[in-house]
Amino acid sequence: MNVRRGLRVLIAEDETIVRLDLRTLIEDQGLVVCGEARDGLEAVELARELQPDVALIDIGMPGLDGIEACRRICAERPMPIVMLTGHSERELVDSAIEAGAFSYLVKPFRGTDVVPALRAAAVRHGELLSARRAIGAQPLRVHVSERSA
Amino acid sequence: VRILIAEDETLIRLDLRAMLEGGGFDVCAEARNGVEAVELARQHEPDLAILDVKMPELDGIEAARQIIGDRAIPIVIVSAYGEDELVKRAVEVGVFGYLTKPFREDALGPAIRTACARHRDLGALREEAESLAEALAARKAIERAKGLLMAKEGLSEDAAYEKLRTASQMSGRPMRMIAEAVEAVLG
Repeated sequence: MNVRRGLRVLIAEDETIVRLDLRTLIEDQGLVVCGEARDGLEAVELARELQPDVALIDIGMPGLDGIEACRRICAERPMPIVMLTGHSERELVDSAIEAGAFSYLVKPFRGTDVVPALRAAAVRHGELLSARRAIGAQPLRVHVSERSA
Repeated sequence: VRILIAEDETLIRLDLRAMLEGGGFDVCAEARNGVEAVELARQHEPDLAILDVKMPELDGIEAARQIIGDRAIPIVIVSAYGEDELVKRAVEVGVFGYLTKPFREDALGPAIRTACARHRDLGALREEAESLAEALAARKAIERAKGLLMAKEGLSEDAAYEKLRTASQMSGRPMRMIAEAVEAVLG
């Protein structure tokens, strides 16, 4: 993935002010906020609909929490997800990792930490995908015509 | 998790070490500049490195490039600067995390754990891709050798395969090597 291109970011955060704050600081760095979700279910739907390059998802949201949303999004289409939360307990971090999250920002987050996390997640995830593709692309059987190749 | 830290300012380095050790991590080496970081990474083979961007001799991003080139480990860059150009450079080099200073104890642990986990995934997938590519190359070589034995020695497919297998067993060498030898002679 080319890091020079404006990454398309999906934000999921139930608190309006935080969500606006995130949008502003992401757009200030030249990234594109392609969607805003206010809860986990909306995040899953928007991820499906908008196919963002990367998502920033708050853990503590009403309805479906961010970790479950992350799990469902990754099950549908593996994508880089950065979790956002006020808690840094080991168990929560572990469950985010297990759900497939790529990195983890602790609130109150610093504006300067958000975009680097998104960029790193997007590019490293791209590498994961191409490694996965390399495995998937291996033919299981050698075609007879290759015997004389 | 054994961690290498690189930071030129002594006080900040001590602070970082204390935070990491407080969080249950093992700081296995401390570097004061980029060159030292590369050397210590080679020497101590840490599980992860935390590198400051601005360091004398060699900056953190260039050190990250060399460390990853030697041995792929997850790297988290720490920086007083969040400039996008630095971030992009760091990401292109292969870092897994990028945190701005001053450090926050509660942000370090999650950054380290997520970096380690996803780096492990990447390593496992790359290894699998490599071994699959290797297996595929072996299978192709064997198929080609079988084809040659069938064409030039009039053997059946089973007999050709058996011949390669026996030769492999007798010589204790992998079938791929035998197949390549057959190709070299008959091909």
